[in-house]
Amino acid sequence: MIESARTYKANKVVERMGKKLNRQIVGSLTACVHCGMCTESCHYVLANPDDPTYAPAYKADQIRKIFKRNYDWTGRVFPWWVHAEDIRTDEDLHKLKDIVFGKCTNCRRCSINCPMGVDFATLNRMARGLLVSVGIMPEGVAVVSKDQWEVGNQMGVLPQEYLETLEWLSDELESEFGDPAARIPIDKMDADIVYTINPREVKYDPRTITDAARIFYVAGANWTMPSEGWDMTNFGLFSGDDDLGGAAAQRVYDKVIELRGKKLVISECGHGYRSTRCEGPNWAGKETPVVMESSVLTMLRYIKEGRIRLDKSRNKESYTFHDSCNNARSCGFFEEPRELLNLVVSDFREMYPNRTENYCCTGGGGAMSMSEYTPERLKSAKIKADQLKATGTKVVVTSCHNCVDGLSDVIKHYKLGMKVEQLVSLTANAMVVPERAAVAVPVAVALPLQGYKILVVDDEPDILLFLSTVLEDQGATVIQAADGEQALELTLREKPDLVTLDLSMPGKNGGYVFEEIRNNPEIATTKVFIITGKPELRRLIYERPIPPDGYLDKPIDQDALLNNIRMVLELKHAHKLSS
Amino acid sequence: MVNELKVKTKTIRLMVGFITDIPGMDGIVYYARPDLTLGSGFGTAISIQCGPSVQEELKKAGSAAVTDVVVTGAGNLHFKYILHAVGPRFQEEDIEGKLKTTMLNTLNKAQELQLQKVIFPAMGAGFYGIPLDVSARLTLGVAREFLEKAADPKEVVFCLRDNRELKVFQEQLQKM
Repeated sequence: MIESARTYKANKVVERMGKKLNRQIVGSLTACVHCGMCTESCHYVLANPDDPTYAPAYKADQIRKIFKRNYDWTGRVFPWWVHAEDIRTDEDLHKLKDIVFGKCTNCRRCSINCPMGVDFATLNRMARGLLVSVGIMPEGVAVVSKDQWEVGNQMGVLPQEYLETLEWLSDELESEFGDPAARIPIDKMDADIVYTINPREVKYDPRTITDAARIFYVAGANWTMPSEGWDMTNFGLFSGDDDLGGAAAQRVYDKVIELRGKKLVISECGHGYRSTRCEGPNWAGKETPVVMESSVLTMLRYIKEGRIRLDKSRNKESYTFHDSCNNARSCGFFEEPRELLNLVVSDFREMYPNRTENYCCTGGGGAMSMSEYTPERLKSAKIKADQLKATGTKVVVTSCHNCVDGLSDVIKHYKLGMKVEQLVSLTANAMVVPERAAVAVPVAVALPLQGYKILVVDDEPDILLFLSTVLEDQGATVIQAADGEQALELTLREKPDLVTLDLSMPGKNGGYVFEEIRNNPEIATTKVFIITGKPELRRLIYERPIPPDGYLDKPIDQDALLNNIRMVLELKHAHKLSS
Repeated sequence: MVNELKVKTKTIRLMVGFITDIPGMDGIVYYARPDLTLGSGFGTAISIQCGPSVQEELKKAGSAAVTDVVVTGAGNLHFKYILHAVGPRFQEEDIEGKLKTTMLNTLNKAQELQLQKVIFPAMGAGFYGIPLDVSARLTLGVAREFLEKAADPKEVVFCLRDNRELKVFQEQLQKM
C-alpha cells in the first residue's frame, strides 16, 4: 500500500478494504471486460443515456481503481496501464459517497445481467461500508443507522410507542370481532409463529399489522409478536455496515429463541426478507436454528389448508405486481407472491419485464432516506413509471414496504393515478370472516375533523401518507403537497382551513412558504401548523412578526398531532380516537 | 457469567434494557457529538421523553471538544442530570486514549454533581464503530479504577442494548 499521500480517513478506508476482500469481491473487481451489458440493465443509465457516469462499469471502476492501486500487483507495478489510482483526500471520499449512495440503489439488475459474473451491487455495498466506517455517509443514512443501533429499529420507534400501538390495534381488533381473544399476543411463549415487522408499519401504516392480525385470528393461529427484536429490516444491508447487519439480525433471532417460537414469520418486506432470512446469519457470523418464512408463504398455506376462505370478488380493481429487487433478484422469491395474488384478485395483469428482470421501484431498500439524491432518483424512475403505465391497471401490488414508498413516490411524481397495495391487505380484504367472529357493527359517529379541509406539506412520502391517513380517519378532507411551490399553489386554489407545513424541504422551504402565506392578503389568515424535525429552524419562524398557529416536532406522535390540530382549529371537544 | 463487581463499598453493574427507561438512576450518560445536537438513536429518546428543554440548554452550551462532558437537566425524564459525553468516533486517531479520558471526565463530573447512581450505554460501540470489546475493556477499567478512589458515584450501571453486548461486557468484567 502507498500510504504517504493519503489523508487519515482515506488511509483507513484503504486499510479496511484489504480486510473486506474475499473471493466474491475480488472476482467482481477483476472480471469486468467493459462490454457494456450492464449499462442496458440500469434504470439510472436508461433514464440518463447521455451521462456515462451512471454506467455500472464506470461506477465500479471508481472502486476498482483503488483496489488495483493497492491490492493488485498489476496496479502497483503498471498503474497507468490498468487505470489504477489511489484515493487520497477527504474530497475524493465524498465524491465516492455521491456515487455509491446517490447513483445506485443496489438493485442488482446489472449483476444478474453481467456475462462475466461481476456483482456490482456487492462492490457498491462494500464501498458504502468503508465510507460509513470513517463517518462519511449521507445524513439520512446516519440517522437511520443510529436509530437501528441504539433504539433497535430503523425508525426510532421507542419501546413504549411500539407496545402502545399494538395495544390500541388490539382494542380495535377486539371490538371488530367482539371477542376478547381477538388481540395481538405479545411475548407469548411457545407460539407457532413469531411475527416480525417493518417499523414503517408501526410508525406510518399500522393497517398492515391489523390485516395480518385479522388473518392470524381467523386462521386460529398460535402466534405472537415480540416486545424486542421485532424489526426484521436491517439497515446494514443498505449502509454496508456488516456489524450492524449482524447485530440487528441477532436481536431478531435471539428473541425468537428466548420465546421458544417455532417459526419466525417475516412480514412483507424485500429488504427485511433478504437481510433476516438470507444474509443475517452470515453477518452475525454463525448459523441460527431459527426457521424462517415470508408471511406470503404463511398466507398461502392458510388458504391451501382451508383455514381462511376467500371471496376474491371483493378486490374489484385491476392489479399488476411489482417485484421487489431484494425478493426477486437476491432471494428468488417471485412465484409465490403471484400465486397468492391470483388467489385474492380476479383481474391480475403482469407487468413487463417482470420477476428477476423487473425494474427497481427506485426506493432501493433505504434510498428514500437520502433526500439529497431525490431529484436524481425520481428522474431515474421514469423507467418504472413507463412500466407501470403500460399495464393499464389501477393498483400496483408489491410484497415490500420499501417498494410501497418508492412506488408511491413514482406514482405521485409522474401523476399515474395508481394505488399501491400489499398482499396482506388484499388477502385480509378478500377473507370471508366466519359468522362466529363477525359481530361488530360500526356505529356512525360524527368525526372530529369532519368538514375541515387540511393541506399537508412534506417532502417525505412516508410522512405525507401518515398525516393523510390519520387526518382522513378523523373525517378531514386532505390535500397533499410534496414541495413548497405546490403548497403555495394549493393554498391559493383550495383555501384550506389548515396547512401542516414541513420546514426543511428542497427548493422553496417551509420558511419561505410561511412568509408567502402571511404576506398574501388572500390567504394570510390561513392557519399554519409547523411540523419540523429541526427545532432550530422552528425558532427562525417564531421570530417572525406573526407566528404560526402551532407546531410539532418530528417524529410525530399521533395523539399530540390530533390534540394540537384540534387546538389550532379551536374545536371545542377534546379529541378522542375514532374507531 | 457475572453481572456485578464490587469495588470496596461501590458497585459496577451490567444489565440489558433501554437506557432512558431504567428507574432509580440519578444521572444518565449520552454519547454526544461535538456539535451537541441530540440527533437520532438514544438522542431520539431523549428528545421525545425529555421535551425541548434539553436541546435548548445544549444550544446555549454551543459545542464541545472530544472528551468534554456537558451537563443538562433531564426535562420530563426521571433523571436529575444528563451527562453529554463527547467521545471519539469512527476510527479517529487515538481512539483508546480519548475514550478513556471521556470516561474519566464523565465520572469526575458525576462525582462533582454528587450523583449516587449513574447509567452508561456501551460507550462509542455500535454506530460510532468502536469495537465492543475495546469499549467494554476501557470503560469498565476506568470505572473500576475511579470507584476505588472516589466518594461518588456509589453505583455505575452499564445498560446494554442486547445479549450480544452484555456477553462481551460480562467477559471483560469476569477478567477484572
